[in-house]
Amino acid sequence: MTMYLALKSAIMAILLAAAFYLFRNKVKRLFLIMQSVDGEGPGEPDSIPQRIVVLFKDVLGQSNVRRKKMAGWAHTLIFFGFLAVQPHSLELMIRGVIPGFSVGHLVPGIYNFYLFVADILGFLVLAGFAYAAYRRFVEKPKYLTMGRDANLIILFTSVIIVTFHLINACQVVSPYAAHGYDYTGVFPISGIIVSLFGMETLSASTQTFLFETFYFIHMLTIMGFLVYIPGSKHLHLLAAAPNVFLKPLKREKAVQKTDIEDEDAESFGLGKINELNWYNVLNLYACTECGRCEEQCPADHTGKPLSPKAIVHDLKTNLFQWSDNILDGNKEEIEPFVSETSDITSDVLWSCTTCRACEDICPVNIQHLDFILEARKYQVLMEANFPTEMQDTFTNLENQGNPWGFSADTRGNWAKGLGIPTIQENPQPDILWFVGSASSFDDRAIKISKALAELLKIAGVNVAILGEQECGVGDTARRAGNEYLAQMMITQNVEALNECKPKRILTACPHSYNMLKNEYPDFGADFPVVHHSQFLLELVQQNRLILDERTLGSITFHDSCYLGRWNGIFDEPRELISRMNQGQAPIEMKRTRDKGFCCGAGGARMFMEETLGSYINVDRAKEIMDTGADMVASACPYCITMLQDGLKECESDIKVLDLAELLHRKIVNNS
Amino acid sequence: MSKIGVFIETVDQEIKQSVFGVISAAASGGEVVGFLLNGQADTYKDQLAAYGVTELVDLAAGDIVFSKFPQAAGEALAKGATDFGVTALVGVSSPTGNDLLARAAMALKAPLALDCIDVDFNDSTVKKSHFSGKAIATLEMTGKLFVCGIRPNSFEAVEAPGTIIVTTHNIDIENSDDIIVTAVEAAGSGKKDLTEATVIISGGRPMASSENFKILDDCAEKLVAVVGASRAAVDAGFAPHSMQVGQTGKIVSPKLYIGCGLSGSVQHFAGMKTSKVIVAINTDKDAPIFSKSDYGIIGDLFEVVPALTKELEKQE
Repeated sequence: MTMYLALKSAIMAILLAAAFYLFRNKVKRLFLIMQSVDGEGPGEPDSIPQRIVVLFKDVLGQSNVRRKKMAGWAHTLIFFGFLAVQPHSLELMIRGVIPGFSVGHLVPGIYNFYLFVADILGFLVLAGFAYAAYRRFVEKPKYLTMGRDANLIILFTSVIIVTFHLINACQVVSPYAAHGYDYTGVFPISGIIVSLFGMETLSASTQTFLFETFYFIHMLTIMGFLVYIPGSKHLHLLAAAPNVFLKPLKREKAVQKTDIEDEDAESFGLGKINELNWYNVLNLYACTECGRCEEQCPADHTGKPLSPKAIVHDLKTNLFQWSDNILDGNKEEIEPFVSETSDITSDVLWSCTTCRACEDICPVNIQHLDFILEARKYQVLMEANFPTEMQDTFTNLENQGNPWGFSADTRGNWAKGLGIPTIQENPQPDILWFVGSASSFDDRAIKISKALAELLKIAGVNVAILGEQECGVGDTARRAGNEYLAQMMITQNVEALNECKPKRILTACPHSYNMLKNEYPDFGADFPVVHHSQFLLELVQQNRLILDERTLGSITFHDSCYLGRWNGIFDEPRELISRMNQGQAPIEMKRTRDKGFCCGAGGARMFMEETLGSYINVDRAKEIMDTGADMVASACPYCITMLQDGLKECESDIKVLDLAELLHRKIVNNS
Repeated sequence: MSKIGVFIETVDQEIKQSVFGVISAAASGGEVVGFLLNGQADTYKDQLAAYGVTELVDLAAGDIVFSKFPQAAGEALAKGATDFGVTALVGVSSPTGNDLLARAAMALKAPLALDCIDVDFNDSTVKKSHFSGKAIATLEMTGKLFVCGIRPNSFEAVEAPGTIIVTTHNIDIENSDDIIVTAVEAAGSGKKDLTEATVIISGGRPMASSENFKILDDCAEKLVAVVGASRAAVDAGFAPHSMQVGQTGKIVSPKLYIGCGLSGSVQHFAGMKTSKVIVAINTDKDAPIFSKSDYGIIGDLFEVVPALTKELEKQE
């Protein structure tokens, strides 16, 4: 026996050393890749205390994972079970090398309590796995990647947990396994195994044999798993927590500002995989292909070639494919990752509506849009490769500052005769109304502008518009990757804004709201911005707009992505509707609020043909019809156009109205 | 009196409609010499005489088929221009026109301007539109001969009947097979190009089916118009995308645009806002299109359009 134990020590020492050595090398390589990519990453993380809270809430609390109930709970069980069995495995490892090692003899009370809890939590992992297996083999949702990788992981981990219990059971009955410690009554679950299989009645040598067998299966699986992790999608186990820790703390975010004046720049945007920054790379490592992004994605949902999950997977594959070149500094040979022969084609890239459903739902906070928008920049600025329909839109934006090419000097014409002064006529307004292109030129949206204008007059708001001085806000150009054009437009507006230094900017367009609030500060214009859904609610709350008692009928509300997911404005429009409609909250659609479904127009898709898959707006229109509401309210001129067209396509006569139009109906009679 | 050469571009054995405007423009500069590349001068001579072409030249170079060899076609035009002593060679700025005129200019080593909206042969100047029409550039063309492509519909075609001489002019050029046109495929409907049409009649979603577009086709035939469609009609599958007028379809500027059952969304309007006269037919009197049109007819397109076709028939 002594001979055997000595041999076991030696074998275990060698195996452990080899496993940890391989693991270390693999992880080191992953670190080196992060250090060797060329993109400029974010600096040192700020607000550390807040991030620690995030770690507790999102990682330990598993709050994000459980936004998908059943799968989330299964994950929580697996997560905690695995954490719980780690110290036990560690003790067994050490005991393999140093036979006498035992924590139980040092701190018996704590040790017993720990084992008791770990034994239960370990068993619950199996419950989690049972659900996972049910999902993979019975439910088979489309968004899950079915593959060897995932099945292998379930197999590995199940073996680890099953042998964990079997080892425990052996320790209860076998003095050899117990190492002089009394494990009687410590394991609630493993104890059942003992009586179930009558293990007490087995001979001592059988018990010893079983223990050693389970021990080696357990250890070899753990070591195999350790070596397997860094090269598989279960790299997630290592990268998820740091990625969550480093996540953007605010919901609001801006497109990365590219220094287009940089004369030394050889390339703009993201063309080759080595141009990622370390944080992008960490994002890729963190993905475990749970597919929640794909499930939410309007492009994937309507049969387009884009899936956020696939983009992350394909970028990760591309990164590993070129990792030797990245590490050797031999970057010239690396080929652009977007091509018609690769997995990421231009159709993939241009299918994105930038609705951010993927980022919002991602349990590990991967920033999918950072990849997509930067890649579009490269396509436009370096390759001049973009949907042909965008050519005219770009030209019009450049020449006239609006996508349709209406003469720039007629931008303020819609307001003529409405008593809304320009900034020249009223240089000291309380509210500067940034109208935006659609609301200035599109007849449908002008109706909204006119309703809002009248409401502002009734409420006695001291307001002015920029008129001719206003230029398109730059959202379309920026999201379409034309950073150069976008910055040209932004700069023009920034100059106009800084000249009149508005106390507060009002806009009825979520795209303008987002640009002015989150992206203009990077260009030197940082003024308070309010969306009309918020401002109108304010006016109602202050009794500056008095509502009459008429009911409006049943209303459902469509969240604009740029109002909701990009800026977190979910409640104000609902509160306003409820106040307008005798306290009746809007009927919610199936996909609503942070899981709201895009209208299809974001990310400059408004100006592209939808030739792939089915129509996003029709998909949404059907959902609107399912609510049985008399009308659908929204707060974005693009959403309104898209929904109107979608409903027409479905031959529905549900009315589509902006909040300002609804409110206008409630006011006109008593003004 | 000086002579102006005009490249008579033909499509499917017919003279391209916009060529007649170019002939009228050329007539303001002197005698008009027409150059043909397909050897069918006799078919066209009466038509061309009616617009003031005094001499029609069939260019021929052995057995070279010019429609297959753009390089030879360009050189033939150049040769014709020199041999007939024209002071300018003009044509329509169509894809073919732009291609051949540029090749001719190269062969002549003459100055070239394409997509011109005006031309003055007396002082050898042309006008071009820049920055989406915000600025007009006047270019002076130096040299004893210049080549110029004229944007379709820039000039009114004015009838000026006169006599015409037809000649066949054999030239000796080396054929090069660097570029060979093997096939020309018409996109989508195979109908005439919307962007060059002088009259367009468009249908929107109320057309309700692709079969119903027949009533527009019938009317278009009488009007010598091209049929277009709104995005909604294209999305609904009533018409191919090649017929789509609008921001994401064709940008058109006909002299007359008739919109049938179009609401006049901004996306559609952006594609046809430069039309000279807009006529709208819609049942909804509040349709935004009425605020953009010169004439509006409140009525059902299925009644109005056939009535219009009938009236046009009567007038024939």
